[in-house]
Amino acid sequence: MSSMKSLCASAVVNVTTARSATELRQSTKSFPLLSLSQHLPKLITTATNISRRTTTSVKATVADFKSSDPIEQEQEKKKRYHFLVANAKFMLDEEEHFQEQLFERVRLFKERNMEQDFWLVIEPKFLDQFPDITKRLKRPAVALVSTNGTWIKFMKLRLDRVLLESFEAESLEEPLASNPAKLEFENPNKWNAPYPKYESGWWESFLP
Amino acid sequence: MASEMMALLKPISKIGYYGSSTTTTTRTILPQRVFSTVIRMSAATATTTTTKGSGGGKNKKGIKETLLAPRFYTTDFDEMEQLFNTQMNKNLNEAEFEALLQEFKTDYNQTHFVRNKEFKEAADEMQGPLRQIFVEFLERSCTAEFSGFLLYKELGRRLKKTNPVVAEIFSLMSRDEARHAGFLNKGLSDFNLALDLGFLTKARKYTFFKPKFIFYATYLSEKIGYWRYITIYRHLKANPEYQVYPIFKYFENWCQDENRHGDFFSALMKAQPQFLNDWKAKLWARFFCLSVYVTMYLNDTQRTAFYEGIGLNTKEFDMHVIIETNRTTARIFPAVLDVENPEFKRKLDRMAEINSKILAIGESDDIPLVKNLKRIPHIAALVSELLAAYLMKPIESGSVDIAEMDPQLVY
Repeated sequence: MSSMKSLCASAVVNVTTARSATELRQSTKSFPLLSLSQHLPKLITTATNISRRTTTSVKATVADFKSSDPIEQEQEKKKRYHFLVANAKFMLDEEEHFQEQLFERVRLFKERNMEQDFWLVIEPKFLDQFPDITKRLKRPAVALVSTNGTWIKFMKLRLDRVLLESFEAESLEEPLASNPAKLEFENPNKWNAPYPKYESGWWESFLP
Repeated sequence: MASEMMALLKPISKIGYYGSSTTTTTRTILPQRVFSTVIRMSAATATTTTTKGSGGGKNKKGIKETLLAPRFYTTDFDEMEQLFNTQMNKNLNEAEFEALLQEFKTDYNQTHFVRNKEFKEAADEMQGPLRQIFVEFLERSCTAEFSGFLLYKELGRRLKKTNPVVAEIFSLMSRDEARHAGFLNKGLSDFNLALDLGFLTKARKYTFFKPKFIFYATYLSEKIGYWRYITIYRHLKANPEYQVYPIFKYFENWCQDENRHGDFFSALMKAQPQFLNDWKAKLWARFFCLSVYVTMYLNDTQRTAFYEGIGLNTKEFDMHVIIETNRTTARIFPAVLDVENPEFKRKLDRMAEINSKILAIGESDDIPLVKNLKRIPHIAALVSELLAAYLMKPIESGSVDIAEMDPQLVY
């Protein structure tokens, strides 16, 4: 798990340290009397440190996902999968910011050429291993699964009303296996927002 | 209580509740409480002085004086240091802060705030009253973001020794705020204006809040900021004919920053359960919710032109933002207001009405003494509405990690 820990942050910084410095300089340029020299270098230094610390973790992660190569497949060991789970209505229908976060993350991964390491799993089969969770869960349930435990921890802070657990699995198939379930959400009886609700089915691109 | 509340109302408006009416409002109601500060505005360029509609002409002078409402905060940094000293405080959930730090290091919006020529074109096209309103919106939003930058930057600096992780998060949040403020200030340059932020830093009055109040207030202001921005964004996406200024197109990614900042304050409060788990905490939580919601409502109902200008119904917009912010806040505050009770909105509407009367007195030709006398009954009415709203039956709430939730809670 520790090798996954800072996957995305590290990759980010590796690729774009130089650009980030310029960007910061540009975005802060408009404070005429502020001495930028004070805080600007500090942020840049931070960025450089990160990249040094976590370069290896990125490599490890990329390798993990290119498992078509038999040699790499051999090297692949048990991996830890972290998940958050709650009822489908909460995850897919009520918490609209959740959708924004997932799309934001997909955008980021694309921009930085990173392999996606998170999925939504409807009625995951692995829940059978967690009776303590299933007895407190409304069904159908939906899980957010990722190899990045740090990110899942953050998502737990954001979503709050979800249960967090992790387990080890030999292959990606196991955490992503799902039981058939029908997802239908009733239209909210009062919708006061000055915009339409996100369209149902948005989650399909996050399914395995 | 009302005077306390009014004093609190202003600084909380992190996201520009545009319209100088905050200042006016507060000053009108409580003259002794207001320290209005003059913001020095300087023309970005000395060249473009040809009059462009009603807004353009004023810039000829080169300097325009404006009253801006969002205040700057400061806090007890020594107490902050103690609260987050990892040696002294074993409650700190370090894994949660590490996770947050990674999230901020990721820097989702590193390359997001890049301008294009649409900005200048849109600014040039904007004429008449709408132009003024937009300038005001940019000024206030910029000031508010900038005030966040200053506070977070200082906290980042002060906590470096006692808690490097929390300190670094503060620094990264100040990075976001600086970026936002810079972007807004660039927007102002399209209107041939610029906020002199260096001057602001020195000249503004700083409002002191104890750390615990900084947590409540900043949490709310970040989360309400998220809901305001995302609501405007989604509305304009569905109704592109009102897309009069390109800055709104940036709101979707932008407001995710605000939301994450709010999450950080959530984690800070969880690390200090004494701010969340007793009856005093519940009273303060309700108090801050009410302050923030009422401030926004009163401000926005005085500035309907802006919202109508982008095709929104001001009151509906505000109620939506309040309800959603309240729902979000219920994930962490030990109590929140029953804002979905129709009586809550009726109270807000009455407050808005009273507020208009108070403002009208301010604009009349009476001498100051007469104005003050005339205001008294209205202020009393406002206070009584505020109190009644505060005393409405609250909703018990809180994080499932903290609150004594029913163990039978079903997820």
